[in-house]
Amino acid sequence: MSKISAPRSNREFVEACIKSGDAVRIKQEVDWDNEAGAIVRRVCELGQAAPFMENIKDYPGFSYFGAPLSTYRRMAISLGMDPASTLPEIGKEYLKRTNSEPIAPVTIDRKDAPCKENILLGDDVDLCKLPVPLVHDGDGGRYVGTWHAVVTKHPVRGDVNWGMYRQMMWDGRTMSGAVFPFSDLGKALTEYYLPRGEGCPFATAIGLSPLAAMAACAPSPIPEPELVGMLSGEPARLVKCETNDLEVPADAEIILEGVILPDYKVEEGPFGEYTGYRTSPRDFRVTFRVNAITYRNNATMTISNMGTPQDEGQMLRSFSLGLELEKLLRSQGIPITGVYMHPRSTHHMMIVGVKPTYAGVASQIAHLAFGSKLGPWFHMVMVVDDKTDIYNWDEVYHAFCTRCHPANGIHIYKNTVGTPLYPFATPHERKYSIGSKVLFDCLWPVDWDPVNDVPTTVSFKNVYSQEIQDRVAGNWTAYGYPPVK
Amino acid sequence: MNQWEVFVMDVAELAEGQDLELTIRTLNPGVQKYTYKRVRAQVSSSLDQFADQLQVRLGRGQLSKARFSIRVIEEIQRCPAKYL
Repeated sequence: MSKISAPRSNREFVEACIKSGDAVRIKQEVDWDNEAGAIVRRVCELGQAAPFMENIKDYPGFSYFGAPLSTYRRMAISLGMDPASTLPEIGKEYLKRTNSEPIAPVTIDRKDAPCKENILLGDDVDLCKLPVPLVHDGDGGRYVGTWHAVVTKHPVRGDVNWGMYRQMMWDGRTMSGAVFPFSDLGKALTEYYLPRGEGCPFATAIGLSPLAAMAACAPSPIPEPELVGMLSGEPARLVKCETNDLEVPADAEIILEGVILPDYKVEEGPFGEYTGYRTSPRDFRVTFRVNAITYRNNATMTISNMGTPQDEGQMLRSFSLGLELEKLLRSQGIPITGVYMHPRSTHHMMIVGVKPTYAGVASQIAHLAFGSKLGPWFHMVMVVDDKTDIYNWDEVYHAFCTRCHPANGIHIYKNTVGTPLYPFATPHERKYSIGSKVLFDCLWPVDWDPVNDVPTTVSFKNVYSQEIQDRVAGNWTAYGYPPVK
Repeated sequence: MNQWEVFVMDVAELAEGQDLELTIRTLNPGVQKYTYKRVRAQVSSSLDQFADQLQVRLGRGQLSKARFSIRVIEEIQRCPAKYL
């Protein structure tokens, strides 16, 4: 693999984004109470440069970096690519790196770990010492973890998991979070810790390198510390925690260490979610007791403000879910041409392009997609043919509206795995994470005569000879039209 | 005077003249704003009945027009002592 020059820390990433014009420094004082969140939200909705807020009310010395990966330009920068790279180019690079050999992380000495520059233990531990923002007005609390990794280790298998489970500050030592039962951490809690009444050690890393955040967000079967190495082309640098045996990214800005309590729960939510709504109800949820805080000098807290499109939750989840499904389908020999989720679907609709060489291929794709580990995160699969550009919503929408048979092309699956965050779900379904799925089969049936049964697409590119197309395109400005880009 | 806030599904949960167990968060300015306590308290729709004020949010964070005064009788520590 050629040398990758991706940002190795959040600080390097901020500098790279400022240099390319993809981040702005905000020097005036910003209030952690709603104002910072509102800035980030507006940036997401306008698709503008990420705000690096250097002067936080009540918290001298701390800063915020908001909307870190809410554009494809910043995703390209995070991978060390040209910011102008196209989405297919970024996706191709992600697939190349994540199909390479795993790169194991290295553990460094704590004296070399920037995240150990300040250490709070015992009575000094107080989350109120950190600039935890109130992200949306009306949220159930200040959210410590909106763009971060919760690090845990399976007690039997030893698998390390970095997951982006949102975390709300309940008081100075307590956080509560949404951990879904089908998630890696959810399964470890329900299968092991809760039945035994044992606390689960955790560490939350905030202000990660963008590729570490990408790994924590991606639904990849590869352990996240190795995935970071594959994405960045060199081993992730980890350091041991102060109060447990977990290892955390040494270059992270802030680390919280503690225990998930098996026998005590506090309320969590509501919270503005990636679907663009506050959907999941306030409830008693997984509760984290914080026993240590370590942080870099002049630490930067990263903020993702989830809501209507488009934020990095939608961007990155769409990106990684689509590419991970593409890997899965190719591994099964399905003749796909590509997989894409438009971020504006808030990662609910998977669009799959396929060469329809046999009957039932759309159903085969849907069963694999919905039955996989990726499945809980989306509820719609749309299968189009290889002539449809899956990145072009106009083409996809046209295919959907004209080729999906209302009676034969829509397949509904009930009582599947779901999430409490589905806005359309009933209160009962939200409470028990019950889902429903739908397949939109937009393929011409293979038992139709391709000459006499399949309609001909009537478009400039499809019905005119190349000679006519070239003549018309060549004379376009002569006809009096402006040039076409 | 302290400012507090509570989340309820229905304002009727805030019955007047009774001891209630509530999870409330402080709205007092400062770095502890929005931190929670579990308390035993009484509320009144008469805003000068008690010294502290309580505002109400509904299930999805909507701010209710209802306002109360509140008397916090005691803080309830539900977290097992072994974790404190």
